[in-house]
Amino acid sequence: MFQQILFATSATPACDPAARVAFNLARRYGGRLALLHVLGVPTRGFSQEVVDIRTGQKVQADEDYLACVREEITQYYAKQMESVPGAAIDIRLGYPHREILRKARDERPDLIVMGGTTEDPSGSAYKKVMVGSTFHRVAKAAFCPVLAVGRSAASFWGGGFSNIVFATDFSKAANAAFDFCLEVAGSLDGELHLFHALDIGTPQTGVLIDQDAIEKRLREARQRIRGLYVPRMGEFKKYSIEVWEGIPYIEIVKFAREKQADLIIMAHQSQALDAENAKLGSNMEQVIVRASCPVLSVSRPPKAQ
Amino acid sequence: MPEGTFCNRTPIQSEKALKRLLEDTGGKTYYQEMKALEVDRDLLWGTIQKTLKSRLRTWLGICAHCGMCADSCFLYRISKRDPRQVPAYKIQSTLGEIVRRKGNVDNAFMHMAMETAWAKCTCCNRCGLYCPHGIDMGVMFGYLRGLLYQQGFVPWELKIGAGMHRVYRAQMDVTDKDFVETFEWMVEEYEEDYPGLTVPVDKQEADILYTVNAREVKHYPEDLAEAAILFHLAGEDWTVPSSGWEQTSLAMFAGDWEACKLQVQSVYGAMERLKPKRMVGTECGHAHRATVVEGPYWAGRPDGRPPVRSIHYVEWLAEALRTGKLRIDPEKRIRVPVTIQDSCNYIRNHGLKEITREIISHIVAPGYFREMSPNREHNYCCGGGGGFNGIGLYRPQRNQALITKRDQLLATGAEMVIAPCHNCWDAIRDLVEEFHVPIKWSFLKPLLIKMVQVPEHLRPENS
Repeated sequence: MFQQILFATSATPACDPAARVAFNLARRYGGRLALLHVLGVPTRGFSQEVVDIRTGQKVQADEDYLACVREEITQYYAKQMESVPGAAIDIRLGYPHREILRKARDERPDLIVMGGTTEDPSGSAYKKVMVGSTFHRVAKAAFCPVLAVGRSAASFWGGGFSNIVFATDFSKAANAAFDFCLEVAGSLDGELHLFHALDIGTPQTGVLIDQDAIEKRLREARQRIRGLYVPRMGEFKKYSIEVWEGIPYIEIVKFAREKQADLIIMAHQSQALDAENAKLGSNMEQVIVRASCPVLSVSRPPKAQ
Repeated sequence: MPEGTFCNRTPIQSEKALKRLLEDTGGKTYYQEMKALEVDRDLLWGTIQKTLKSRLRTWLGICAHCGMCADSCFLYRISKRDPRQVPAYKIQSTLGEIVRRKGNVDNAFMHMAMETAWAKCTCCNRCGLYCPHGIDMGVMFGYLRGLLYQQGFVPWELKIGAGMHRVYRAQMDVTDKDFVETFEWMVEEYEEDYPGLTVPVDKQEADILYTVNAREVKHYPEDLAEAAILFHLAGEDWTVPSSGWEQTSLAMFAGDWEACKLQVQSVYGAMERLKPKRMVGTECGHAHRATVVEGPYWAGRPDGRPPVRSIHYVEWLAEALRTGKLRIDPEKRIRVPVTIQDSCNYIRNHGLKEITREIISHIVAPGYFREMSPNREHNYCCGGGGGFNGIGLYRPQRNQALITKRDQLLATGAEMVIAPCHNCWDAIRDLVEEFHVPIKWSFLKPLLIKMVQVPEHLRPENS
């Protein structure tokens, strides 16, 4: 578990919380950590010019420039790298999501760690309530779980995963997420909270459900959790089941806070090829930017090696 | 100095030489060496005598200097109508002068000719449409580029680009193995969403052989996935070749005639090996020109055609929509003001203007399509064609050249422009960035994926 961690970073403060988690995980579980920085998108047709995603400047990405960037990243993470011997830095050119996925395909890590968005240089409020399209594209396509650390508050914890919230929407992807959940809780001797948030909408959105119907659906959801997941847990007994109603992402965040969870595991749902369409309004997105612990996304069962 | 280490008359022949040239950041030493590069006049005149055939000789001779070509050239129009930007002047003062002087030109002249050939003409061939004699300056500039390349007077990026084709048979350092693996990777990523999705490699006698642009493999392989998905949904019997898959030709932009031939022969080799019924190329204009229009002549094919019938992606797509192989969900058609960029290389130069509009009639809801003005075969170059997009030395001129397209786009009031051509797509992206134009741009494939109906038997189980 977590023996091979890929940390995709812009090497900017936006990724500091994710860096804290990535290094902590590698240190705690003795995993090999690989840092990946995607320098930028080659532009201007077939020219050698690249827009550096950190500085926004157009640069000639020759060996000298790459060496400079490597040195800068080494310095940026110098202290943390001391505590994780053998952490390697790789710098690639291209679209960030594609290069992260390419690296993941090359090296088959068992976890990808990603940080906040660097997409909005203006620092607007948008940035604080949205996760980048890079995360969505990676989370959708990756064959391993992707851990997102959306805010600084989510990165200060003991460094282990012993209290896990599994937030299910009963989808096929949630099945794969549950398998992973069980593996984590089992191998790390953690506690598992199986949770479903029942979306009851709001009167403002024109949805008003009577209380009997809500309570009926709450009972059904509990039964569904018991039927779907409990039989698969075998001897594993350190679990609880909860179903709350409300706005799903708010309920998930509240529940995780109440349980003092150190990890939330969810299924990545979007089927859209276009991340621009996928990102707006997703529950996972909102959980990532609001949760006080890292959020782990699983979109499909791990690929056979 | 007769020839430099980087800047010389020897084409790139090995990966090692290619990497060394790449290490010369921005071509700094390369261009420095070019200042001292001697012109091999005997070679120049000898080549002209062997290769300047009757059509070009006639064109050079019959030009009446009437100036009718002036306004046809977007570079003339955006240069405050500078007479030095009149197409006839540009070709007469370069190729015409070299011929008149029997190759007796010097280094300074070749520098001027290089700038004229690559920064004052995109080989869009619009002038040929307006010349009363049908003289096509774009064709002549293509020829001039060949002479300049042979002498070593070629922009750094294009020497590299042509070298890529010589070394990798692709415009970028993408090997055959990389291509097949990347295609398989993309299918892996999407096979859950599209059960049964595969990429058939080297299938014999398939209905369609699909060829691509190496940039898709290198930087946005989603394009490969989208192509596979659309063939899959259309129920096509298709394949990709494990070698000979690269349809583009930066060698054509560079004027490296030998590399042009090597490149196109690799694609024709795949056709001959796999014997497909026809070839479909990706959404790229110059790739179509290189492989379908000009390639047969480079390869010396007596009938002037590729070994199998070869069509552009828009032709396949229009056919798939027309015949019902692909069906569009009417609710998902584009419902924002949208325009289409007519690529010079397959609209003006290969007559596909109505094909793209047929596609529009399927994918855009009535009332939302806006024509650019002018359009179809009269449309202007995107501003980055013919290699202009990628040459660092001429970046300011290229950025200036984007103005025409910017103004055309703004005049449509469109919120989106469909650009089924890599070069146009790049140029439009750059003009959006350069001039902060509020417009989205897209290839056709990603738009189709969003609106095409998935037949019931091809849907995932839990959908």
